[in-house]
Amino acid sequence: MSARPAWRALHHSAKRRVVQPTSPYRCFSCTRQASDQAKSDQQRMTHFGFTNVPESEKESRVGAVFSSVASSYDNMNDLMSLGIHRLWKDHFVRSLNPGTPVANRPADAKDQGWNILDIAGGTGDIAFRMLDHATNINHDMQTRVTISDINAEMLAEGRKRSTATPYYNTSRLSFVQANAQDMPHIPSNSVDLYTVVFGIRNFTDKQAALNEAFRVLKPGGVFACMEFSKVENPVFDAVYKRWNFGAIPLIGQIVAGDRDSYQYLVESIERFPSQEEFRGMIQKAGFEIPGKGYENLTGGIAAIHKGIKPISRPLNLPSNLRVVLLISSPYIEGDELI
Amino acid sequence: MASLPRLYRARTSLSAIPSLRASHQPGAVASYHAPANSTSTSTSTARSSPISSSSLISNSTTISQAQLRTPTPLCIRARARARPDSHAQCRIQTPLHPWIRTYHSSLHPRPPTHEYNNSQVAILSASLAHIPTEGFTRAALTAGARDAGFLDVSVQLLPRGEFDLVLFWLASRRGLLRAKVEDGCVFGETAATAAGDRTGTGSGSGPSVDEKVRILIMERLRMNKDVKGVWQDALAQMSLLGNIPLAFSELHALSNDILNLAGDTAVDSTWYARRMAIGAIYASAEMAMTRDPTPDMVETEAFVKRRFEDKQALKDKVEGVGSWVGFWGNTVVGVGRSWGLKI
Repeated sequence: MSARPAWRALHHSAKRRVVQPTSPYRCFSCTRQASDQAKSDQQRMTHFGFTNVPESEKESRVGAVFSSVASSYDNMNDLMSLGIHRLWKDHFVRSLNPGTPVANRPADAKDQGWNILDIAGGTGDIAFRMLDHATNINHDMQTRVTISDINAEMLAEGRKRSTATPYYNTSRLSFVQANAQDMPHIPSNSVDLYTVVFGIRNFTDKQAALNEAFRVLKPGGVFACMEFSKVENPVFDAVYKRWNFGAIPLIGQIVAGDRDSYQYLVESIERFPSQEEFRGMIQKAGFEIPGKGYENLTGGIAAIHKGIKPISRPLNLPSNLRVVLLISSPYIEGDELI
Repeated sequence: MASLPRLYRARTSLSAIPSLRASHQPGAVASYHAPANSTSTSTSTARSSPISSSSLISNSTTISQAQLRTPTPLCIRARARARPDSHAQCRIQTPLHPWIRTYHSSLHPRPPTHEYNNSQVAILSASLAHIPTEGFTRAALTAGARDAGFLDVSVQLLPRGEFDLVLFWLASRRGLLRAKVEDGCVFGETAATAAGDRTGTGSGSGPSVDEKVRILIMERLRMNKDVKGVWQDALAQMSLLGNIPLAFSELHALSNDILNLAGDTAVDSTWYARRMAIGAIYASAEMAMTRDPTPDMVETEAFVKRRFEDKQALKDKVEGVGSWVGFWGNTVVGVGRSWGLKI
């Protein structure tokens, strides 16, 4: 009974395949043109959470999300991560150890202090921590931070908070509204440390942002990124996913009155590349990777990625290089470096 | 057991092709032997045995600056997971997890996991000069980074921080010790004659293995002369819980190297015991060294001598007890059998 419709369907599709080839027409002389066209077709769309949206639209949509959450940002972070995000951020800043102790500074150094660029740091969470660390731990009064964010509301929140810090209205702290994929106002080779914390996930074109980071960093400068990542333990992953998709939108609805923004948040976390993939993207931008390139926090919920812009002139390697060649004894067993 | 130079040669030839290929990829992490190959491309004779002393001397002088640019890889080996393709060709045997190995084999040496790229080597080797004044601290690393032309923030290249400096110090001193022996600066013989001794073709008239081990330990301790005052920094770093395994494997590598260089090639049941004994003597002598006020380390030398006497005494006692137990065991069994017991 059902044989006939099935045959028809097969027949029909076979016919259609003949009529409509799957790949567009191309000849040997126009391969490039055809592939270019295909590429631009694909690139027009990007993901916004689980849905695909045109690239031009993502920016405004992300903007809308963050405009709506700016005021309740801190409370929500505390509730969603059970306060752990503070530990992550403290660890992040401590491991970067911003600022040079005055005693260790060469007297003839012309550029005193670090020039730090904090991308997507609108509310100043990381920037204030870094300035505090530089001031209180390293007694470095010259290290300065530029907070850059694409969203005016988040920046306004950061400005409001900065009034409570000792850095308010000093040259050590400045705010810039800019798109991290294109920052013509920041000269090349001018930044010591580029940080982006829980922000790169929302970028429309992450690779472009990484390339721009590579451009603005001084040779030897460090790109440091903390972002949600993939949990490695499957049991913990199941619990974490349940929390993400069950609890976080609900908390968002109750506390911030905005379920959709937090639904986007968890979906964008899910869509963000894994530790290894993102490390590959950092390497692709030209950075050198220290060790294995990332550090997992809380089982991989978040990960800190680092990359160093290589210096372009020849390295001053020791003349007795053979000593160095011999150090990699086959008997050394260590944790996974590289 | 194969003699040492032959061993290295065999390994190098296995990895020659993929590592050369890897060294042409900018930014790639090349095989462990890549530097030996990439630095010896200027001297074709050096490629056949890159670890032998003569070629090493020529290598160190013929490295062109172009080869030392940042993206060119140095003494690094790709981990299997990172670059599976290159590793598959690099070694004939490719176990699933090459860094987990439950046995020891000198014919299939363990792949090094402790590796630094060019920038890291530049920073670390520049930092070595600051250790006597700054200690094994982040300040020494920062100063080294600055000397090497990097920024203060570039210390982030070393994920373990100060402990990387300690490891680099230990490993590079170990490399120096090996280079010294192979150049004939310690025993007054070259690596080739030492190898001849080991394979039984030489005269073997030099000092005994035990004597050589003692000389090597003292040689290694003398390298610590400048860092005597700051050695507690390194001890503190090495005693942190997460750092203990690497510190111990470095100590093991040192005692293994010392025994190999002294010509001890026996593979018997005391293999581990000998390495542990050398490691224990060296580590305790290091502690004694930090309290030694004499400029020539006379007291440390006396300490090492006493420890060797202790080792000999302990060995004699253990062997004595062993032969006593063996004799009485055999006797009891023999008597029992003569009485008709089924044993």
